[in-house]
Amino acid sequence: MSAYLISMATFVGFFMILALALNLQWGMTGMVNFGIAGFYALGAYTSGLLSVKLGWPVGITIAMSCVTGLIAGGLVALLSMRLREDYLAIVTLGFGEIVRLIALNEDQITEGPRGLKIDARPFADMFDRETYPLVYLGLVAAAVAVVFVIVECIRRSPMGRTLRAIREDDVVAEVLGKNVLRHRVQVFALGGAFMGLAGALYAHYVQNISPEVFMPMVAIFIWMSVIVGGAGNNWGLLLGAGVVMTILEGSRFMGDFIDFLDAEQLSAIRIIVIGVLLIAILRVRPRGLIPEPKFSFATSTTQQERQPSTENAK
Amino acid sequence: MSGQLIINGIVNASLIAPPAIAFSLLFGILRFPNFAIGAYVTVGAFIAYALNVGAGMPMWVAGLGAMAGTAVVVWLSDVLVFKPMRGHTPVTLLVVSIALALIIEHVIRLFYGADVRGFDLPLERPIKFAGLRITGEQIDIIVMTIVIGIAIHLLLQYTRIGKAMRATADNETLAEVRGINTSYVIAFTWFICGALFGLTGVFAGLDLVIEPLVGWYLTIPIFAAAILGGIGSPYGAMLGALLVGLAEELTVLVLPSSYKIGVGFVIIAVLLLIRPHGLLGQPEIKK
Repeated sequence: MSAYLISMATFVGFFMILALALNLQWGMTGMVNFGIAGFYALGAYTSGLLSVKLGWPVGITIAMSCVTGLIAGGLVALLSMRLREDYLAIVTLGFGEIVRLIALNEDQITEGPRGLKIDARPFADMFDRETYPLVYLGLVAAAVAVVFVIVECIRRSPMGRTLRAIREDDVVAEVLGKNVLRHRVQVFALGGAFMGLAGALYAHYVQNISPEVFMPMVAIFIWMSVIVGGAGNNWGLLLGAGVVMTILEGSRFMGDFIDFLDAEQLSAIRIIVIGVLLIAILRVRPRGLIPEPKFSFATSTTQQERQPSTENAK
Repeated sequence: MSGQLIINGIVNASLIAPPAIAFSLLFGILRFPNFAIGAYVTVGAFIAYALNVGAGMPMWVAGLGAMAGTAVVVWLSDVLVFKPMRGHTPVTLLVVSIALALIIEHVIRLFYGADVRGFDLPLERPIKFAGLRITGEQIDIIVMTIVIGIAIHLLLQYTRIGKAMRATADNETLAEVRGINTSYVIAFTWFICGALFGLTGVFAGLDLVIEPLVGWYLTIPIFAAAILGGIGSPYGAMLGALLVGLAEELTVLVLPSSYKIGVGFVIIAVLLLIRPHGLLGQPEIKK
């Protein structure tokens, strides 16, 4: 049982990294990304293939996953130059599907649907089999912490304010002299790098990756995590990722109580529950369980008379 | 070889055109891309399957039943899900529509499983001429799509409700001021679009297979067709469907056919970069 909890916590870790990355892209900057599965897959296959086919050390392959995620994110973001956000949703979704199609069809390289077996694991020879899952959980937790600190630093920095300005109205930000395109490309690339990192960590954890894991459904779980937690708020989505994973995994135990449904039907019910909850939350608490804190002018004495009327009209 | 591909492309286009028109009409009143359209198509396919195979009705009765049933489901999706959320940002509604698509798909999975099914139809020999093959069902699909296209054109151009639909899509407030009952017009639009999605489900069941994901595989070509033609423009959607349908089939000449579903995406990305408002669409002025 505790082995199960450790593995679940590790998966929550992957979700958290993805959710933090999406929060950077969408929650803070307003750039829609439905291609999360694609970046995740890119990271997983980059690290996996480099270590299996070329025998590179794990540390370097994981770093390379971040680099490919960074480049892919930057390139996809260039598309946003001229796209409305709903079109960007379709294009990013397309990116994800194309990555999956390549992984599925170029099977002489990726092993296709048979799955790519990855033997290499970080620090594998330093620990025995019993403690290793715990070590890996620690590694993932460290990665979550690093990503969290980076994203939170950006949020508090002047750049974070610029990003929020772009999110609320890119034309105004542009008029105020901010380089909107450069910020967007930077943020999307960085988010892509984090997603690549999550993919690499995932690949070396499960040690067998196949394309069907990287369905667009992944994006929905991550969106759900960010929306449940409260877009723009990094603390909230850590909670959100936990909630979503609990629903996904917790409902596995429903099978013990409801014995007239088979596994297929249970998994269908699981997705239905996720979907209904997502719609319900968006309707009742559109800004999430822990909404993004609003900026107050209270600390500035010269602006006392100004009413806090800058509520974003979301 | 390429003659056969062009025939396949035209059949493919006929499959995409009705839902692309419907998607375009819906976008006109909703202003966000409704990702649940694929799920609506799947609903149509399964209602037709239930009536045809389950209840043993003839195909044309099952087809009409699927159109009516899907229209009701689609209208209900507006009443229950989208209507209470009018005024939210397009991205919020987009996420809601994806969640709705997941719900519908998995409700179907809950009852029917993931098995691949087909209608109960007598097997027919494909018609052959000059080395090309086409089935009777494919001819039916092409003919019906042409009829639908003309019917939608007449509806939008010459009837009172059609003009009201165009006015509402153009500027809802202005239409309201001019005495159009916009909530009635919007409900009517959902019904018409629902019937079109239901029909597409029947077509998909005839030409492809019936499974919970059949609509999802059509979603992207539908988006591509509607965006290519200029989103919100029903005539553009027909042209877009023809181009996407042909493009998907003709890529088989240069790429393995397993990449077919990627073609729609590439078309969207390239086109949006060159002409962000589509081939026939009008550029929108940002205020």
